[in-house]
Order: sequence, then C-alpha cells, then structure tokens
Amino acid sequence: MADKINAWGWDVAAKSLEITATDYEDKTGAAVSVSQMGQGNMNDKFKSSLLSGSGAPACAMMEDPSAPAWVNTDGLHDVSGWIEEAGLKDKFVSGKWTPLQDEDGIYGLPWDIGPVGLFYRRDLFQQNGIDPTTIETWDQFIEEGQKLPEGTGLLNIPSNDYDGLWRMQFRQLGGQPFTEDGHVNIHSEKSVRVAQMLKRLYNSGATVDKPPWTKSWFTALGDGAIASLMSGAWMLGTLKAEVSNTKGKWGVIKPPAFASGGPRATNSGGSNMTIAKQVSNAKARRAWDFMKFSLATEEMQTKIYNEYGIFPAYKPAYNSDVFSTEIPFLGGQKAGELFTEVAENIPGYRYTTATSEVTRAINTHLGRMFDDKVTPAKAVMNAAEQVAKRTDRELA
Amino acid sequence: MHETTRRSGVWKFVTYAFILLMAVVTIVPLYWVLVASTLPEEVFLSSTSLPLFPGDAFFENFRALQARESVNFIRSIGNSVLIASVYTLLSVLLCSMAGFAFAKYEFRFKEPIFYTILATLVLPIQLLVIPLFLLMSQLGLMNSYWAIILPWAANPVGIFLMRQNMKSVPDTLLESARMDGATEFQVFYKVVLPTLKSALAALATILFLFQWNLFLFPLVVLESDKYTIPVAINQLVGAQRVYYDQIMVAAGLSIIPIFLLFLFLQQYFVKGIIGGSIKE
Repeated sequence: MADKINAWGWDVAAKSLEITATDYEDKTGAAVSVSQMGQGNMNDKFKSSLLSGSGAPACAMMEDPSAPAWVNTDGLHDVSGWIEEAGLKDKFVSGKWTPLQDEDGIYGLPWDIGPVGLFYRRDLFQQNGIDPTTIETWDQFIEEGQKLPEGTGLLNIPSNDYDGLWRMQFRQLGGQPFTEDGHVNIHSEKSVRVAQMLKRLYNSGATVDKPPWTKSWFTALGDGAIASLMSGAWMLGTLKAEVSNTKGKWGVIKPPAFASGGPRATNSGGSNMTIAKQVSNAKARRAWDFMKFSLATEEMQTKIYNEYGIFPAYKPAYNSDVFSTEIPFLGGQKAGELFTEVAENIPGYRYTTATSEVTRAINTHLGRMFDDKVTPAKAVMNAAEQVAKRTDRELA
Repeated sequence: MHETTRRSGVWKFVTYAFILLMAVVTIVPLYWVLVASTLPEEVFLSSTSLPLFPGDAFFENFRALQARESVNFIRSIGNSVLIASVYTLLSVLLCSMAGFAFAKYEFRFKEPIFYTILATLVLPIQLLVIPLFLLMSQLGLMNSYWAIILPWAANPVGIFLMRQNMKSVPDTLLESARMDGATEFQVFYKVVLPTLKSALAALATILFLFQWNLFLFPLVVLESDKYTIPVAINQLVGAQRVYYDQIMVAAGLSIIPIFLLFLFLQQYFVKGIIGGSIKE
C-alpha cells in the first residue's frame, strides 16, 4: 500500500476527514492530505479528471444525487469485492446503495445520511397551546399551526427550493422519480399527493418564504419568525452554530404522515466516498483502507457526528451512547434515538443523470401551482413532461 | 440644407440617447456590486428594498473573506495578474507575427491555413478542456501557470485582428525598409509594429480580458495556491451556504485591475478596433 495519498472534500466533510486522517496516521503511519474545496469546484474538477483519466486524487467525496452521473463516466473503481471481503454490505442503511451501483458493481462506500425530522420551536408551540406529540399527520400539523399568532410562520416554503420539500415528502411516501428503466415518474399518484399537500400548507396562510441558508433565514429561525423546519439530522449542527441564542428552545418530531399510520421516514442529503479507476493499485488499496477506517468504524463515525453532526449511514455506530444522550440544545430531548429509528426505515431513492432537471422542473411548475395557474396534478405532469423532453426519456 | 441639419440633429439625439441607455445598463450591475460589497448581507439581500447607497460594512465583509480557510483571495489576484500579463505579452507577439505573415507574405495554402485557424473559433472551450487537460498532464505541466498560459497563446481572434490591421500597412513602406537593408524581422519589429500601436493596445486588452475571465480550464488544472480570481470566487459557494457578502467584496476588488488596464489603454483601444475594418 502507498504511504501517502490525498483526498478531496468540501466544507465540514473535508474537516471531518482531517480529523480521521490524523488518527489514521497515528495508527498506520500513512499520511493522508485532505484538500478542502468549494462543492461546485470539486464536482467540476473531479468529473474532468474522471473523463480524462488523469489528475484524480486517491479518494474523493461523492454526493448521492451526483453519484449516477459519476458512475456513468465509467471512471470509478468497482469496490464491490472489497465491500464483500470486509462484510460491509449489511452494516449500512439499505437505502444508501441504490445510487452507488450499476449492474456491474458498486462504486463507493456510504458515508452519511440525513434522516429527516421536523424541528420545531418548543417555546412558541408551548405558548400557543400546540402539543407536538399529538401531531401525527400533515393535516393535523396545518390545523395546529393556525394557533400561531400573525407574523409567526409555521413552516418556510422557500420559492427557490420547492423541490427540497417535495423530494423529502415524495421519498417519505416511497415515491421513485424514475422507474428501473429510467422512465420519468415524477407525475405519479404519490407525487400528486405531495403537490396537493404542499398546496394545502401554502394555502393555510401559515407559511413564509425566506431563501434558505441566508442571513435573513437564520435571523428568522433565531427570532421565531419561522416556528418549524423540516430537515436532515445534520441541521442540528447548523442551528447550534448559527442560532446559538435559541439553545433549549428547539425540539424535534418525526415528519408527519400523509395519513394516520402512514410512513414517517425520509432523508435529506448524504454523501459517500469513491476511488477513481485511474488511481494506482497501491494508492487505491490505501485509499480503501482509509475510507474503511473513516466511514466504517464506530469510533470515527461517532467522533465526526459529535464534532459536526454528520449522521452515520454505518448502523453499528448507532449503538454508541452518543445516540441516546440528552441534547441540551433540544431541551434535553434524546433526539438521536428518533433519528436512528427514522434512519432504519428510509426508503431507497433512485437518482439518475437527469436528477438536476427534476430539481429545475419541480421548482418551476410547483411555483406555477402556488400561483394558482395550474392544479397540483397538472403541475407535476408538466414537470414530468419537461424532464422527459429535455433528457430524451419516456414518461412512466 | 436646413432640412439635413435638423435631421442630423434628431439623429444625433437618438444616437446619444441610445448610448446613454447602454451606458446605464452596463453601469448599474457594476455599481450594485460595489454598493453590495459595502453592506451587510441581509441588507442587500432583503427582497423589499434595493439599496442605492454604500454602507460601512466593507471592511467587515473583507475580513470575513480573509478569514476563509479554503481560499486565499489576495493571492488569487496576484495569480490572475501574473497569468494574464505573461499571457498577454506572449500572445500579442505571436498573434502579430502570424498576422504579419498572413497579410504580407505569399506561401502555399495560405488561405486554407488561415481559415482553418479561424474555424477553431467555433470550438467551445468546454469541448477543449478534456483534451487540453490530458495534454497538460502528459507534459507534466499540471498545476503550473504555463498550463493556463500556453493553450490559447496563439489566439485565433488575435491572429484575425492583426491580419486585418497589417493589411492596412502600405507595401511601399515595407519595400523601402528592405531597400535600406533591413532584415525581415527588423521590418516587422521596427517598421510595422510602431504604426499599429492602437491595434496592439486593443489586442492586448481583448487578450487580457479573455484570460482574466477564463474559468473552467484553470479550475480543473490548478490547485488552490494557484487559483485565479474566478475559481477563487467560486470557492465561496459552499454546499449549502453561499457567502454573497464575501462574493461581492471579491468581485468588487477584482474589477480594479481591469479598470486600471482600460484607463491606461482606452485612448488607443477604440482606434484599434476600427482600424481592423479599414483597408487601403
């Protein structure tokens, strides 16, 4: 095995790799240097190196949505043999493997997931007589939300990110945006149900529109202008960092179901690590060893979760005490238990090379639906037709 | 007589109105970037009002930019200036030599060669990135300034522009220099080039801007310590957060070198562009 390799990643994920690289070097003596890049920069750079067969690092991060496009370049190393050898296939939540494989092999090792919770402002709910434990369905959620005073938004429905909410709810219902043959399926009955639900939320008058990840959004979360937030478990780390003044005022419940007793598990976000085919054998083996150490050991995964809130896809990590401790920021709630329960039930989701077109189409056409220009059913149908037309696919 | 002056007056008014409109359209976004760089992010991103006057948050935004680990912006300005300057000098020399040959010499297949060079203009940069990337990696030039400088050194736009301009230099001038015993290179260097100062300035500006704005190729070839400005700015787009305040500061600062270049060359610039269209 090579004694020096490099790894690429972005944002806090790159910082996490720096943590594991330090421990890895102490343990094995092999040096891993991590390059931290902007996400867009890294995606373009890595994809060019895959297409040209040179310039790739020993290992790199890969987001679930972009995995099919990268697998499609035929430039990734098939690691299915190594996964089998280490007996890792069943150790990860099953929903993670879908985008990482094709009929010939598996091209990455899962890293993290974003089991979704509905974060809510404990203080606001209490003041206005809303008991979150009784909320079981989205309709109940809307109804309870009416108790909030004027000027307090129940939920943020950002006009530049409709597809974020749509995708979480669609996956919750077990919807698949593409069939196995790659036909476009975002106009399915499940998608129509999601669009109708979003429309009901929107029409309830209790929602606001703030572009996410901006200062104004964080300000609204901090001062209670937004009372709840549907997001992956990793959001906890962001809230702690950005609105530390709200410590103890938050709580979290599972996403409400569409009908009583319906599924309440979905996912938002998640990455993997991958090795390029062009990497020399010695380096590839070292990269695999490092990936296994970082992503498939309880110790490293809990360390990363503790530091940055990046939620493991590696199931054995859930046995750690970290997931059953009280979280002061959430008013002492043991949210780890809720999230691991959600994690085990996340349905798989089929990303394809046309995923970015789905994002664009859903955003555009749900926008027209909110403006009362089209019905929910028509909106998702228009979106499906747009994707099919632009990507030369058929409608399911 | 009277009629024509009135008509030309109206015509003048329309022309100036159009130029004024175009100037406003061009300046507003630029002005907005500069104003935005002096305001806190939540102020200029608020959807309710469009701020028109600068605030006092420039240094705060700049400090935030400086504090980013993943990007060294000041260094990237240096990288961009260095790359664009060396590229411009080299490319002006190569383009004017090629233009001279195409304008003033006769050789076999002159026209087909020239039009082949011109035809490469239709190839978008995106198409060339992968082959060039491979070439650079085989030459061992990855992550070097040369990798960015060399590929477009003989720029087809530049060759075309210089050929058109060289055609306007009278042959008699060249002949008399040759009579006086000048070598071909001396003719080119001492006789032709000095008559084309404004065209050269125009060419230099075009080439400098071309290199200054290159994004995709530097992105895939360079590592973080050699990033040019566009790549460095793109580093400010995180997986979730986009640091608009820092982007505005970075964009504002990156205008300065270009602004200075234009100020310095503008007197020649317009003449040079027009010069290419006049033939003797």
